[in-house]
Amino acid sequence: MSTRTVALLGAALLLTACGGGGQIGDTGGTGDNKKMVLIPGVAAEPFYISMECGFREAAKAKGYEVDVQAPAKFDSTLQTPIVTGVLANKPGAVLIAPTDDKAMAGPMKQLKDAGIKVVEVDTKLEDTSIAVSTVSSNNEQGGQLAARTLAKLVGEKPGSVLVLNTKAGTSTTDARAKGFEDEIKKFPNLKYVGQQYTDNEPDQAASKLTATLAANPDLIGVFATNLNTGEGAATGLRNAGRTGAVNLVGFDASPKQVQDLRAGAVQALIAQDPATIGRTGVEQAVAALEGGTAERDIETDLVALTKDDMDANEKYFYKQQC
Amino acid sequence: MAEPLLDARDLVKHYGSVEALRGASFTAYAGEVVSLIGDNGAGKSTLVKCLSGAEQPDSGTISFDGRTISLPTPTAARALGIETVYQDLAVAPDLDPAANLFLGRELRKPGVLGWLGVLDKKEMRRLATSSFGDLGVTLQSVDVPIGSLSGGQRQSVAVARSVVWASKLVFMDEPTAALGVVQRERVLDVIKRVRDQGMAVVLISHNMPEVLAVSDRVEVLRLGRRVARFRAADTTVEELVGAMTGALSQEDA
Amino acid sequence: MTSDVRERTLAKRLFSANTLWIALVLLVLIAVFGAIRPDAVLTTFTLQTTLVETSVLLVLSVGMTYVIITSGIDLSVGSVLVFSGVTSAMTMNAMNDGNATDAGWGTVLVGLVVALVSGAAWGLLNGLLVAKTGIPPLIVTLGSFGAALGAGQLISNGSNVSGVPDVLSDNLGTGTWFGIPNLVLLAAVVTGIGALVLATTRFGRYTYAIGSNEEAARRVGIAVTGHLVKVYLLAGTLAGLAGFMALAYFRVASITGHDTDNLNAIAGVVLGGTSLFGGAGSIVGTVLGVFIPAVLRKGFVIVGVNVYWQPIAVAIVLVAAVWFDQSRRRARNQR
Ligand SMILES: Nc1ncnc2c1ncn2[C@@H]1O[C@H](COP(=O)(O)OP(=O)(O)O)[C@@H](O)[C@H]1O
Ligand SMILES: [Mg+2]
Repeated sequence: MSTRTVALLGAALLLTACGGGGQIGDTGGTGDNKKMVLIPGVAAEPFYISMECGFREAAKAKGYEVDVQAPAKFDSTLQTPIVTGVLANKPGAVLIAPTDDKAMAGPMKQLKDAGIKVVEVDTKLEDTSIAVSTVSSNNEQGGQLAARTLAKLVGEKPGSVLVLNTKAGTSTTDARAKGFEDEIKKFPNLKYVGQQYTDNEPDQAASKLTATLAANPDLIGVFATNLNTGEGAATGLRNAGRTGAVNLVGFDASPKQVQDLRAGAVQALIAQDPATIGRTGVEQAVAALEGGTAERDIETDLVALTKDDMDANEKYFYKQQC
Repeated sequence: MAEPLLDARDLVKHYGSVEALRGASFTAYAGEVVSLIGDNGAGKSTLVKCLSGAEQPDSGTISFDGRTISLPTPTAARALGIETVYQDLAVAPDLDPAANLFLGRELRKPGVLGWLGVLDKKEMRRLATSSFGDLGVTLQSVDVPIGSLSGGQRQSVAVARSVVWASKLVFMDEPTAALGVVQRERVLDVIKRVRDQGMAVVLISHNMPEVLAVSDRVEVLRLGRRVARFRAADTTVEELVGAMTGALSQEDA
Repeated sequence: MTSDVRERTLAKRLFSANTLWIALVLLVLIAVFGAIRPDAVLTTFTLQTTLVETSVLLVLSVGMTYVIITSGIDLSVGSVLVFSGVTSAMTMNAMNDGNATDAGWGTVLVGLVVALVSGAAWGLLNGLLVAKTGIPPLIVTLGSFGAALGAGQLISNGSNVSGVPDVLSDNLGTGTWFGIPNLVLLAAVVTGIGALVLATTRFGRYTYAIGSNEEAARRVGIAVTGHLVKVYLLAGTLAGLAGFMALAYFRVASITGHDTDNLNAIAGVVLGGTSLFGGAGSIVGTVLGVFIPAVLRKGFVIVGVNVYWQPIAVAIVLVAAVWFDQSRRRARNQR
C-alpha cells in the first residue's frame, strides 16, 4: 500500500471516529441572540447585494447586530465552511441562500441543532424541516408575468416565441420557463416553439437563438430566463441584425441589464425584489427569535420593467452597493 | 601511438544512490573503430551520455584533440564534431525520416521566408533521400512518421543521422541490436567507411564476433570502471568474456 | 548503392490522415441537416452566424493546438479570456471616466494591448511553471484556471463589466467587410498564420518534435524549455485576443459565461485529429473539429431534435475521434 493510500485511510478513519462521539461544532453554550448573519449564494452579485441592503436596513431597525458572509462562487463546497464558521459564533439567526438543495442540508442542520433560527432566502433545501421560514421569489409567477409582458409588447402580430433556459434541472429557471409556457398558450397569435438549454453560456444562447431564427424566420419574441442567457440572446439578435424586431424579455435587473433596457437591446425585464426578500427574511427571523411564529413559506412578487415605465420603477433596479 | 582524439579519465556518475560510473576511463583515436563492451549495467550507456553531453559526470576530466573540455549540452559535443546514436535512439517517432535526419539542424528557405523561419522541406527531403541512398538505408518512403517504420529502419535512420553530421567522432550505442542480417552488414560497412574517412567510431555491442570483426581496439567496462583494453587482432572472444565477467583483469587498464 | 526511397502521392497522404475523415464527418453533417431543412440550413444567414459564433472559440483552439501538440494541455484559456476581457474593459472604462461606451479608437487600441498583455502574462506564467519546474501541465493550468478567474473576479468585484466602446462592438463585433463579418476575418487571419507557422516553420517543427519525444529534441540541441515557454505564451496571448473579441461580440466582459471554454477548445482540437499524446495534429484539423460541435448544435436546433440529444451527440463524436487516434497509434507501435 502506498503512503498516500495509508494517509487517506487514516484521514477517513479519523473522520468516522469524530462522527461517533458527536458533531463537529458541538460547542455547547449559548450564543449572541442579538446577532443576525446573512449568507448569500455568491459574493458581489447585484441581486444578493440588493438583498443585503434590505437585510441590513431591516435588522438594524430591529436593533440587531449584522454580518454578511458570502462564498466567492455559487458552490456548496465554498458555502459549507462559511456556515460552519458562522456556527462557531452562535448568532441568533442565520439567513441563507443554500447553493445546493441537498448538499447544504448537513451544515444547515448543524445551525438548527445549535439553536440558531434558520431562514432560507431566494433558494431552499429539499428538506423543509430545517428552516423556520422560506422567503423567495415566485418564479413561476415571474414566468407568467414575462409571457404577459411579451404579449403586450407584441400586440396583435402573429409569430413564434422561444425560451432560452440555463441548465436542465435548475429549479428556479425551470419554474420561470414553466410559468411562461403555461401563460403564453393564452395568446393564440403566439406560437411557442419550445425551450433551448444553454448550459448558462452566453455563446450557446447566441448560437441557439440564431439557429431558431433560421428555422423560424417569424420569431417575434424570446424569453431568456437569467442574466447569461439574456446577454447571449441580445448578442445573437445583434449578430442577426434583428435587435428590436424580435422582442427580448430578460430576467433580473442588474445595472448592465438596466442599461441594455434603456439602450433598446432588451425590451423588458422581469425584476425580482431582493431587498424585500432580505427585509421579509429579517421579519421572520425576529418573529422566531422573539417568541412569535414565523410564516413557513412566503413568496414575493416580481415586477415587469419596460423602457416606458422603467424610470418610475427605479427602486427595483439591483444595486452594486447599498 | 599518436595522441588520442578523446581521452576521458576517472569519470564518476551517480544516479541517486546508484553509482553508474566509478572512475571510468576511456580512450579513442582518430581513424579507428573502438568497441566498448561490458555486461548489462556496466555503465556503457552512461559513459556515452557523459561523453556526448547528454549527462554531466559528477567528476573526472575529458580531453578532446589535446584540450580539456566540458560538455554541458549535446550541442556542445556536436559543435566539436561528436555525434551519437543513443541506445534509445532519441528519434521523434511522429516525424518523418528526413525531419529526423535534420532535427535541430533544419535548412531554411533562402531570403525573407528563411528569415521568417520557413523550412526548405524539399531540399531537406532531397538531401535525406540521397544520404539514405549512400548509406544503403532502405525505406519505403521518406514522408511517413518513422514510428510506423520497423525497429531496424528506425535504427538505420538514427545511424544515418549520426554519420551524416559527424566530423570527428561517432558514438553508437548498440546500433545493430534490432537489425536483420543484411542491415547489420550495411551498418558495419558504414562504420568502416566512416573510420576510413579518418573519424573515430565508438561501437557498443554485445555481439562478440561482430566486435572482433569490425574493431581495431576493444575496451572493457565492468561495474563502472575500465578493466581491460585489447587490440582486436590479438584477442579472442574468451578473453573478452573473461574481462567482462571479472575472471580476467589488466593492471594498467 | 541504390535507394528504395519513394515519396507518397498527395492523395495517399491525405487518405491516411485523420483530417480527411473529420472533413467527411463535417460534410455529412451539413448534408444531412441541409437535406432535412434546406431552406434554413443552406443559407447565407446560417453560414454567417455560425462563423461569427465560432470565431472566439477558434482563436482559443489555435493556441490550444500548439499546446496539445507538445503533449501538454491548457485548462486556463477560458479563465484567461475572462481575465483579459475584464482588465481590458476596466482599463477602457478608467480612461473614460468609468464608461467607455462613447470612447474612440485610441481607447480601443489601449484596450487591445491590455487584453493581449494580460493573456500573455498568464501564458508566460504557465509556460515557466510547465517548462522549468516539471509540474505536469494539467496541474499548472488547473491552478491558473482557478487563479485567473479569481483574479478577474477580484478586479471586477465579481460582476460583469460593461461600458464597451461602441466603435469596438460596431466594427469588430458586428461589422462586415464585403459581407464577411469582421470577427470572422480576424479569426481567419489568426488561424491562417497559426496554420502556416505550425506547418512550414522551424518553430512548428520543434513543436512537433518536443511533443513526439522531448528527450530526443533536447539531445539534438533544441531549446526545449524556451520553446515550451513560447508555446504557452502563444496560447495565453491568443486567449487574451479571444477575450478582446468576446468583448466586442458580447459588449460585456462576462465572468461566469466561459466555464467550459477550455473543454470546448480541447474537444475541438482533439476532434480535429490532434493527438493528446503529442507530436501529431494540424490547425486545419482543429478548424474542422471546432465546427463539428457548432454545426451539430445549430443543426439540432434548426431541425428540432430533442435538446437533450445535443451534448450526447457531441460526446459520441469526441470519444470516437480519440478512440480512432489511439487505435492508429497502437497499430503503429506494434510494428
Ligand atoms: N537515468 C538513470 N537513473 C537511475 N539509474 C540509472 C539511470 N541510467 C542508468 N542507471 C543505472 O546505472 C547503471 C548503468 O547503466 P547503463 O549505463 O545503462 O549500463 P549499460 O549501458 O552498460 O547496460 C545501471 O545500474 C542502471 O540501472
Ligand atoms: Mg546500455
